[in-house]
Amino acid sequence: MFYVTMFFQYMSQYMKTRLEYRADLVVEMISDLLNQTVNLVFILVVFGHTQFLSGWSRDEIIFIYGFFLIPFALFSSFFNIWDFNERYIVKGEMDRILTRPIHSLFQVILERMELESLFGVVTGLVIVMYAGTSLNLSINWYDPFLFILFAIGGALAYAAIFIAIASIGFWSDAKTSIMPMMYNIGNYGRYPVDIYNKVIRFLLTWVLPFAFVGVYPAAYFLGKKEWYAFSFATPLIGIIFFMLAILIWNKGVRKYRGAGN
Amino acid sequence: MNNAIEVSQLRKEFKSYSSRTGLKGAFRDLLTRNYKIVPAVNDINFTVKQGEMVAYIGENGAGKSTTIKMLTGILEPTSGKLRVNGMNPHREREKFTRTIGVVFGQRSQLWWDIAVQESFRLLKKVYKVSDEQYNEHMGHVIKTLDIGPLLDKPVRKLSLGQRMRCELAAALIHNPPLLFLDEPTIGLDVLVKLKIREFLKEINEKYNTTILLTTHDLGDIEALCNRVVMLDEGKIVYDGELDALKNNWAEEKEIHFQFMNHVNLSELNSLPLQFSTDWEYDEKNQTYIANIKGEDENISQLISAVVSHFKIKDVKIHETSIEEIVRNIYEKGMN
Repeated sequence: MFYVTMFFQYMSQYMKTRLEYRADLVVEMISDLLNQTVNLVFILVVFGHTQFLSGWSRDEIIFIYGFFLIPFALFSSFFNIWDFNERYIVKGEMDRILTRPIHSLFQVILERMELESLFGVVTGLVIVMYAGTSLNLSINWYDPFLFILFAIGGALAYAAIFIAIASIGFWSDAKTSIMPMMYNIGNYGRYPVDIYNKVIRFLLTWVLPFAFVGVYPAAYFLGKKEWYAFSFATPLIGIIFFMLAILIWNKGVRKYRGAGN
Repeated sequence: MNNAIEVSQLRKEFKSYSSRTGLKGAFRDLLTRNYKIVPAVNDINFTVKQGEMVAYIGENGAGKSTTIKMLTGILEPTSGKLRVNGMNPHREREKFTRTIGVVFGQRSQLWWDIAVQESFRLLKKVYKVSDEQYNEHMGHVIKTLDIGPLLDKPVRKLSLGQRMRCELAAALIHNPPLLFLDEPTIGLDVLVKLKIREFLKEINEKYNTTILLTTHDLGDIEALCNRVVMLDEGKIVYDGELDALKNNWAEEKEIHFQFMNHVNLSELNSLPLQFSTDWEYDEKNQTYIANIKGEDENISQLISAVVSHFKIKDVKIHETSIEEIVRNIYEKGMN
């Protein structure tokens, strides 16, 4: 309960700061929107000529892409920790975090949230609805709930990977390029995994579960029965990986060396 | 009376990597790196009673910050026992941090972009302080530290002195029984220093707050602390009263003279005085330095003797700094 209150306290603080810099906010929203449009145009151009890609139609791929945007937006709004190593470990901000009575990861998340990214949810929904209408998908009453559940599961899986990687900073504060690399690998989750070879498919499912962010949960709504098991595993995978990531984080905090040593 | 801090055989080791020379060495470093285990804090013991004000001093790199970071739950000790406010700081971190206040002079605890009062408001929620408690306690703190007019400014627009006063207020929002201050007066001007010292004395008297502070400023210690714990190379080299420390190790005072005319060292040495004085000549600054021991009265005797015999241009009385005391102890050893 305390954590919920704290979440809203930090959020209102965040809004206040954001509203003070109105110009920045507008610029950021516009660039975000542009980014989404470019991505969409790319998809349309690439898949405009090929109607099928190992059994997936153009609209299905667009649907997956649209779905992917939603957990990704949730992830980028609340787990904006790609610069954790530099900001908190090298500069020693972690010292401050650790002298406050809230779980350290939760504090970092609260301090770094970037709610503008939630805009991506809207873009994602628009794309999903557009693709869904052209595919004439039927909607059951429980589908919206599953949609939310799968989106959250996907966001948790995505977050778990980045939390685990951020935790590396506790052991070694050397600069690594793993973070940007992960963002690239993360993008593979937005295409059907069966277009990749087996090793990559295995990797994207069980090691870096990016496939659970896009293609697996989306497969359910597309009625791809052969993937249903994976679709329904999405929330579970999200929670398991997220808990593992928190374990790694907690272990890392014990190894924290502090700045200036 | 309860002990606020109990430390026994506390130790913190860091791995320190050393690189080999040359290109060949660099390649070998890729495979196996040489490292030494360096104890930053080396099996130290001390206790601090509730309500005590203790200065924790030592040269840079002596292990002060590392100890403070272990005491505040930031770092986990390598070995040893540590109980602060009856808890294990690192293991019970979230519960523990409610009972301490922390000010790191070099690093802000406040949010950079938001107004000071917004930071306070958020911290009030973080520490679950009720409105009545907050108004009663913080109203007083804000008045004493004279930060009322700063409250609606963002932290980044404050001067260092203004910021430090706000930091101190922020650390006291939950009125903690134990306060850690790491270089709280570094870089501040005299007036702000005085204000902060006054304030710390006041809260110590009012709430029996335990204060552990690190500082390079002897003035801070003289104004606040009866007890000094001195650290050198990770070991405690002195734990006791400040006066005893000063009498034993800062006994020599330096008085610097510059004269209008040329003066010989032998003339200075033959001045009629009841105590022994060592004279040195510093050629670079054209300054004669008198090292004297014993009572403070000797200073005025010396100065009056010198003034009555020679025409002087400048006189300076040099205060022994903590660094010099530490160096003295280090060179001559304890005892």
